[in-house]
Amino acid sequence: MDTVSPLERVLRGLAITVVILFFMFPIVWIFLMSFQTNETILRVPPSVVFEPTLTNYTALITGKLETAAGTLEIAFMRNLWNSLFLSTASVAVGLLLGVPAAYAFGRLKFRGSEDIAFTLLSFRFAPPLLVLLPLTIYFQKIGLADTYVGLIWVYQLIVLPLILWIVRGYFEDIPADIEYAYRIAGHSWFSTFRKIALPLAGPGIAAAGLLAFIFAWNNFIFALVLASADKQPVTVGALAFVTASGIQYGQVAAGIVLSIAPTFALALYAQRYLVEGLSLGAVKG
Amino acid sequence: MYDKEKTLVDAYMSGSLSRRGLIKSLGAMGVTAATAGVLVNAAATRALAQNGFDWKKHAGTTVKLLLNKHPYTDAMIANLENFKELTGMDVQYDVFPEDVYFDKVTAALSSGSSEYDAFMTGAYMTWTYGPAGWVEDLNEWITDASKTNPDYNWDDMLEGVRASCAWNGRPGGQLGSDDAKQWCIPWGYEQNNLTYNAAMLDKAGVGVPGNLDELIDAAAAAQAANDGIYGVGVRGSRSWATIHPGFLSGYANFGQKDLNVSDDGMLSAAMNTDVSKDYHAKWVKMIQDSGAPDWSTHTWYQVGTDLGAGKSAMIFDADILGYFMNGAGNAMEGQLAYAPFAPNPAADAPTPNIWIWSLAMSTFSQQKDAAWYFLQWASGPEHALFGATQMDFVNPVRKSVWADSGFRDRLSGSYPGYVDMHDKSAPGAKIHFTAQPLFFDLTTEWAASLQKMVAGEVPVDEGLDQLAESVNRQLKEAGLG
Amino acid sequence: MTQTAPAALPRRRFRVGRRALPYLLSLPALLTCIGILIPFFTAVVYSLQRYRLSQPWARKFNWGENYLNFMSDPAFWNTFKVSMSYAILTVGIELLLGLGIALLLQKRTRFNNFVSIMLLMPLMTAPALASLMWKLMTNPGFGILSYFAELLGFEDFRWASDPSTALLTVVIVDVWVYTPFIMILLLAGLRSLPTQPFEAASLDGVPRLFVFWRITLPMLTPFLLTATLFRVIESIQQFDIIYAMTQGGPGDKLTVFQVEAYLNFFQFTNVGRSAALLMILWAITYFLSNVFIKNWLRLREKQRGEA
Repeated sequence: MDTVSPLERVLRGLAITVVILFFMFPIVWIFLMSFQTNETILRVPPSVVFEPTLTNYTALITGKLETAAGTLEIAFMRNLWNSLFLSTASVAVGLLLGVPAAYAFGRLKFRGSEDIAFTLLSFRFAPPLLVLLPLTIYFQKIGLADTYVGLIWVYQLIVLPLILWIVRGYFEDIPADIEYAYRIAGHSWFSTFRKIALPLAGPGIAAAGLLAFIFAWNNFIFALVLASADKQPVTVGALAFVTASGIQYGQVAAGIVLSIAPTFALALYAQRYLVEGLSLGAVKG
Repeated sequence: MYDKEKTLVDAYMSGSLSRRGLIKSLGAMGVTAATAGVLVNAAATRALAQNGFDWKKHAGTTVKLLLNKHPYTDAMIANLENFKELTGMDVQYDVFPEDVYFDKVTAALSSGSSEYDAFMTGAYMTWTYGPAGWVEDLNEWITDASKTNPDYNWDDMLEGVRASCAWNGRPGGQLGSDDAKQWCIPWGYEQNNLTYNAAMLDKAGVGVPGNLDELIDAAAAAQAANDGIYGVGVRGSRSWATIHPGFLSGYANFGQKDLNVSDDGMLSAAMNTDVSKDYHAKWVKMIQDSGAPDWSTHTWYQVGTDLGAGKSAMIFDADILGYFMNGAGNAMEGQLAYAPFAPNPAADAPTPNIWIWSLAMSTFSQQKDAAWYFLQWASGPEHALFGATQMDFVNPVRKSVWADSGFRDRLSGSYPGYVDMHDKSAPGAKIHFTAQPLFFDLTTEWAASLQKMVAGEVPVDEGLDQLAESVNRQLKEAGLG
Repeated sequence: MTQTAPAALPRRRFRVGRRALPYLLSLPALLTCIGILIPFFTAVVYSLQRYRLSQPWARKFNWGENYLNFMSDPAFWNTFKVSMSYAILTVGIELLLGLGIALLLQKRTRFNNFVSIMLLMPLMTAPALASLMWKLMTNPGFGILSYFAELLGFEDFRWASDPSTALLTVVIVDVWVYTPFIMILLLAGLRSLPTQPFEAASLDGVPRLFVFWRITLPMLTPFLLTATLFRVIESIQQFDIIYAMTQGGPGDKLTVFQVEAYLNFFQFTNVGRSAALLMILWAITYFLSNVFIKNWLRLREKQRGEA
């Protein structure tokens, strides 16, 4: 299409290299650490030459952590499963609640729609700490403390505003004409929403869902305060490697690798929507 | 299941077989040392079952514990089957990593949750939990012969440690006074003393320092003589945890107090005396000259990791931190040694401030008597001996364990100087802080001031005057000063 | 909704539904959140009380006293200042960087698509754990970054433990974690722009810098505002990174709102003060968000008017 001068090519290449270096170096380093023992990690000066070991991963997967102080039980796989379940369920619920609402705000302008939309978004403003203490007390009273249902509900604070706000923009950007034509042809509102609006906004929904998933995955404080040990996510679980005989950096690193993997796989899978499909309508390629 | 083993162990218990002989015979049968320990304790537990106490009173009850990820916890869990067998009770537990453990405790207790019957805590925390009405005064159970088994031997606990867990709830009230409430029971504790890398000190040609000035010199000399290390590790993060270990132990050794208590029970800052200013100045200088370059982010695990990895020559910190850094998986495994430390040249003995991992009972528990059964077993002499000899349950809080020759020999074998250090400093070991509910507010600010002094942002005297002023203001605001 | 025969009275059903429909659609989302709003009001009550968990007998309403105390408290103003500088620095850098990267990756190639996903990895690393790793990497003894700094001639660079570089260090970590968030939103925005104006400009030989300022940027503004909105809210409320890296130190260099509120609640158990701090934080974010959203709506209206 457009011509690019060689100099610009070089500069662009250089820029992208620097960007990749800055953002990927720590990831690569963490990846390398996950195959090392604490002894090689804590070497001076740091070095990339080491004998790789799988002990960190076996420790995480079998749940037995060998340290100077003996064998420790760890529940990392359980934590991983909790993260997976909590994030997936929260995003699913968030989409179920958020997408229709986003459609209402984006497409069917109605009296007070902006106020309601803003109110919903404003839940994002409340610092989580502010609501946590009263929340634990109320959850205790209504029996939601230490339940997945309660947690998924609270996770809506993170997930819902994000979905609502991003998806709403997509609904607004879909030309109304297509839906209109379909309606005129005698189809019900619901079938228009399902057959026309949803597929058109699909990429936006996927992107919002993925971002919401990441934010839910990274959450820390809700499960910690509201649930018992068997419902804790990886973010809390990985801290178990800070032991009396020192931080087990290799295991923390392996834990990070294992906790990035599912999200990364999801992102790669959704790549089509996320990057390719995020652009709407007008562009032809 | 373990019939043959059981016979052997019973022979050992009755005295017809030596400990070494027992372990050897068990080893021949393919039983590991840890399992052997559990078996020995099973025998001790069987003996316990015969002391006339109704252990089965709460059979069928389930108690739930909130625990910190710690070797003490691991030792308890390893031995838990014996308790279940003894009492017919079931025990559930939630273990949380230390970084978030106390947040979890605060969240659970402040919401009045009845989920947990008992939990691990430190004595400082009970200065909040007690007045808040979250924990029970355990004297009620300890003194009740119908609820506590005759072999519990409460007096076996080290006095300083036991007293440090008891407070009458009055701000400034003496710890362990007659009207004190036993908010928690000591389980394991840490003294703050020196752990040093003998090779590094040798290389610098300096001996083990005997007071603060010598420590400062030795740290500087070791740092100069060894490549890529720093002299002395102490904590420095912006937290109460920076004040309570080595720093306060030394501070108390110079006869200094954190707060003054007037006759009418009012509190005021005491950290801006001349002696205190002098001590602070030396401490700050020591960190500037030979402390960790990233001291201000050092919590206990950086202090420990550096020592274990051979990045520092000494630490003036928890003795058990030095203990763990001498174990497998550390570059300096087996190369560390221990010494009691009295920073004040005029002092007769060390006065370590102590951290006590303790057990407390939640006020919101629905089955307190059953929870007490667990507490008296977990803090009882049998489990303490099991933990100390078979697992890493150091430092035990019971005199009987410290008198056990098996335990002493084991320690002295791999941890040179450890037993001697403990014996010398135990008499002066207690909590040297003034008990009051603003403990965390004031010590956090103290740590922040120390950070500013070390960074050279404020001179020591001025910093201490400002700190004292702020402390006094906060005490007044809270109605304590 | 109802299961009546679809063919019957389609027109009438349409009109009735038309009115109630949007409310019905947004109601579940609203109700879900309202339930969580009750604790919010409880927290408002706390903020108006003298309420220390360790002195339950002294709990009473002191109305605005918690707030009034802040006015004369230098520590509070320090918190305010630090939070603001942190937010401005991080969001500013992340916007510039995110936009730059999005522009670099704008073209739809397999390589660019893959890189954009790969760059999301820092965002997928939980900030609490990422900070633990950054702390190790910046450790003066074992840290690879300290090693690099030394190679580059920064002897004894102390990262988060030195008052003069602590802010810089946590900002770097924040930038590392969150720039990908802005990047992906802006990339989506860039690729969704209509091609006609650009084709026209290209035919007319308009300089590319001019195109960027006059066409790309204005059209991208709604996306920029969305990204900024979410980042500003989070950045002012940052906790994980700062607490894990320095606990608010050295000294009082990084005592942002959430760190102060966390300490006041979980360690000092001073619920009243903690709640008041958080209410002020809430008010600030509410105000800023309002400004952003007003502008966002105005821009969208304008754009639609032009389209």
